This record gives sequence, C-alpha cells and structure tokens, in this order.
Amino acid sequence: MWWVADTDADGDDAATGGEGSDTDPVDGAEPESPPAPTGGLVVPVEPTPTLRATIAYAVEAAVDEGFSAVHLVNIASWRNGDPGTDDRAASAERVLERAEAWATSDLDDIDGERPPVTVVTAVIGADEYLFGPDDYVDVLAAYAEGNDADAVLLDPEYTPVGNTTLLQPLEFALSNTPLTVETAPVARPSRRERLRTEATGRRFVAMFGLSLAFYFLLGDPLYWFDWVTGVATAAIVSITLSRVSIDVEPSMPRTPMRMLRGLIYVPVLLYEITKANVEVARVILDPRLPIEPSMNRVRVIVGSGLPLMTLANSITLTPGTLTVRARDSDLYVHSLIPSARDGLFDGSLERWTRFVYYGRASARLPTPRERDDCAILQGPDATEELPIAAADGGESRAGGETATAGDGDSPGERGDEDDETPEVTDA
Amino acid sequence: MDALGTARVGLVVAFTLLGLFFSFVSMTGVLRLPDVYSRAHTASQADTLGAGFGLAAVAFAVGWEAAGVKSVLLLFFIFVTNPTAAHAIARAAFEEGTVPWTEGDDRR
Repeated sequence: MWWVADTDADGDDAATGGEGSDTDPVDGAEPESPPAPTGGLVVPVEPTPTLRATIAYAVEAAVDEGFSAVHLVNIASWRNGDPGTDDRAASAERVLERAEAWATSDLDDIDGERPPVTVVTAVIGADEYLFGPDDYVDVLAAYAEGNDADAVLLDPEYTPVGNTTLLQPLEFALSNTPLTVETAPVARPSRRERLRTEATGRRFVAMFGLSLAFYFLLGDPLYWFDWVTGVATAAIVSITLSRVSIDVEPSMPRTPMRMLRGLIYVPVLLYEITKANVEVARVILDPRLPIEPSMNRVRVIVGSGLPLMTLANSITLTPGTLTVRARDSDLYVHSLIPSARDGLFDGSLERWTRFVYYGRASARLPTPRERDDCAILQGPDATEELPIAAADGGESRAGGETATAGDGDSPGERGDEDDETPEVTDA
Repeated sequence: MDALGTARVGLVVAFTLLGLFFSFVSMTGVLRLPDVYSRAHTASQADTLGAGFGLAAVAFAVGWEAAGVKSVLLLFFIFVTNPTAAHAIARAAFEEGTVPWTEGDDRR
C-alpha cells in the first residue's frame, strides 16, 4: 500500500517489505495487522468529472488504512481582497459541501459499524496569489503539517489553475515533500468528451466573435462571400483554439470592464513609453552620459497568466527596463539606467495592471520599494546574488528542457553559482 | 492645398522624421551598447517608437481607409509581439548563463 510504505518509517525493512507484498494478494493480508492509525488524508478538491469517484476511493482508502480524518481542501485560485472574491469563495464552499456530503454518505454506507473517520473541509491559500505547482505544494504541505496529515490523494483530473494540466508537475513537486502521494485510480472520461464540453460555451462564443470581428476588419462586412469565409474561418479558429487562447472563462460584468479599463491604460502606457524613450535616447546619443545596467528582481502582486503577461510586456515595452525572466511572482528585470530602475521599483505599471484587471480599489497598494519586494542583483548597490541559470552554458539542463515550460523550475538551477563567471565572460 | 491638407502633410512629415530619429537612436544603441541585454533594450526601441511613428505617418497619409485601419492594427500587433520577442531573446541569454554587463566589465 502506497502510504504505508512511506509513512512508517525512514528506511526500515517494514517499508521495503511492502515491495515484496506487492506480489502477494495485498488486500487480503492487510487487515490482520492494521497499521497504526496514521494522521489524515488530504484530498485537493475541484469540480472535476472524476471528483465523485475520487472521493469514494479516498473514503475507502481511509477506512482500509486507518486514517483518522479525510481533509477535503480547496486551494484558492483567488486572493482575498480582490473584487469578485466572494463569488469564487462561495462557489468553492459549495463544491466542498457537496464533496463532504458524498464522503459522509460513503462512510454511512459502509457495512457494520461506522468507521472512526472524520471528514474535514477547508479552503486554503486564499491569502496570496499562487503561481506554479511549487506554490500549490507549499500551501498543501503547510496545511498537512498543521493538521497532522501525511498523505495526499490526487484527483486525476485535478487542475487548480483553470485550463492547464498541472497534475504531472504537481505530483512531481509533491514528491519532494515528506507527504506520500497517489493519484486515485478512477476511470477518466475520454478526451473527446472533455474537449466537447469545454469548447462549447462562453469561451467558444468569445473566440468566435473575436475572430469574426477581426476578419471583417480586414475584409468587407457588406460582401456576402466574406460572411461565408469569415464564419467558416472563425468556426475553425474557435473550435481549435478557444481552449488554448482563453484560459479564464469570460464573465459578464468583468470581461467588458477589463477591456474598458484596458483602453484607459493604452494612452498611459504610450505616455510612459515615450517619456522613457526620450531618456534612453539621450543616454545612447550622448557619450558623456554613462549607462549603468543591472539585473533586478521585483516580486509583483498580480495574478498569474494574463495579468502577469500584461505587466511583464509593459515593463519590456518601456525602454530602459527589460523583463528577462518570470519565476512565479518574481520578475527578473534588466535595467539600463538608474532612473528606469527607480521607475520600476516605484511600481506604477504594477498599479496600472492591477487597475486594468481588478479595478480602481485594488490599484492602491504600496510600491515594491515600500513592500521590500525588490532587489538589485548586480553592481555596487547589489543586495542579492544573481541567480543566473546554469554555469556550464546550459548543458546540464539539456535533458529536462521540455519540463521547464511552466517556469516552475526554480530550485534545481540555483545550485552552482560559484564558478560561473570566468567561463561566461569569454563566451 | 487647403489648410487641413497642409496640416496633415505636416503631421506626416513630423511623424516620419520622429520615426527616423528613433530608428537611428536604436541603431546607434545596438552598435554602442556592450551586451545582449542592453542591446535588446534599444533594439526593441526601434520597434516601439521607430516603427510606431512610421506607421502613424502611414495612417495619416492614407487617411480613414482600409489601409489606414490596417496600419493601426499593425501598430497594435507590434506592441504585443515586440516585447515578447525581446523577452524571448533576453530569457534565452539568461538561461544560457550570460551574466549581464556591469560597469568595470572588460567585455565590449
């Protein structure tokens, strides 16, 4: 049994003995020596098609293995205080209630005496933005530790951040914690079915409307043949791409409001770009004005996905600052001149991004400098070491390249920083 | 030519000159600056304001027609793709382990 093998004990033979029993009829052998009641079993909950089966499996497992509690947790995909939080918190609560009802009824259905398993629900991680699998794991691990739980059961369809299939990295990241992990062996719906259910609906309509509007912008909306080709093109685009391009379900007051505030942001951004452009142009054209480039780190408080992309791209568009790397909520920004760096640390673009995505109330927040969320990584004022990727020019990463798409590859790369400089300078 | 036409030609000329100016600055920057990161700054500058003013000049020159609308669209796409490309270049350099140039570095 997967958790028994790891929980009771660091490397003693009981654990390895479990391997041998894999070949035995395991289930028959277990009840004779029930393991000491381990703590709790944590089940992250999202409204997936396989949630019901996962809960049934979790309850069964908890009873068989003597877990004292089943913790049904919802990892918040929002941050408390942002507008719209209440709705999302309420819907998370509803999912948890339903899951709890299922779990309780499964416990009641068990023949004979009701097993001493309690069902606990919780929403966790709502006080900060969570970006990659590492953040989710941190929150899960903290919860497990605080509640004396030592095993995690994953729903195979579990995707806490919307459309991205996070399960594999999440499982991988969890393997670095003392928790034992298993994915519930439940039947998954076929891909085709999933695609169909997700492709219909608002995303499809939004994508269709957007591509049709763009088509007519280029073509002639008064010519009937453009209608035929336009509708066909828009249909193909939205069938293939609506799940890829739109990762958050459009919702009625929010999406148009965001677009409207985005329109307000455009002239502001243009003004910032022009202003910074003139400053940089002076530095470039005047040989007496020196450049003082440095790498900097800013921890930004915007949600992952589109808001982060907007902010990172705005920073890059503004001359003098260049987003080099986005590692969860840390942006590594190269700055050309000190005034550009100061502008970055004053966080005006961050506040504007928050204005566009969350409204005016959320735009009021301290600057990164006041929050102490910024660091200079180079030069005389350096406050932190430069976490440059690989010292050997990246060769060591060759194998794991495909896995790094989600920017969640931080811990491993920071290891060998000492001997990189000589090699790189002559590169 | 009426006054409105003169003003329009003036705007077109002004925007073209501004676009040329920022393209020139950007070219100078690429030649002068020391490393890939600082060059990425100034190379993307050519796109934002250089091409920006250039396309604005085109939009004013052709007026409110299909081509004018398309040049505004082009502007929009440049503003979306340009930082993405600059970011891709800088990130590739960063992942390859290129240390950004700082004062006192001998590389030029």
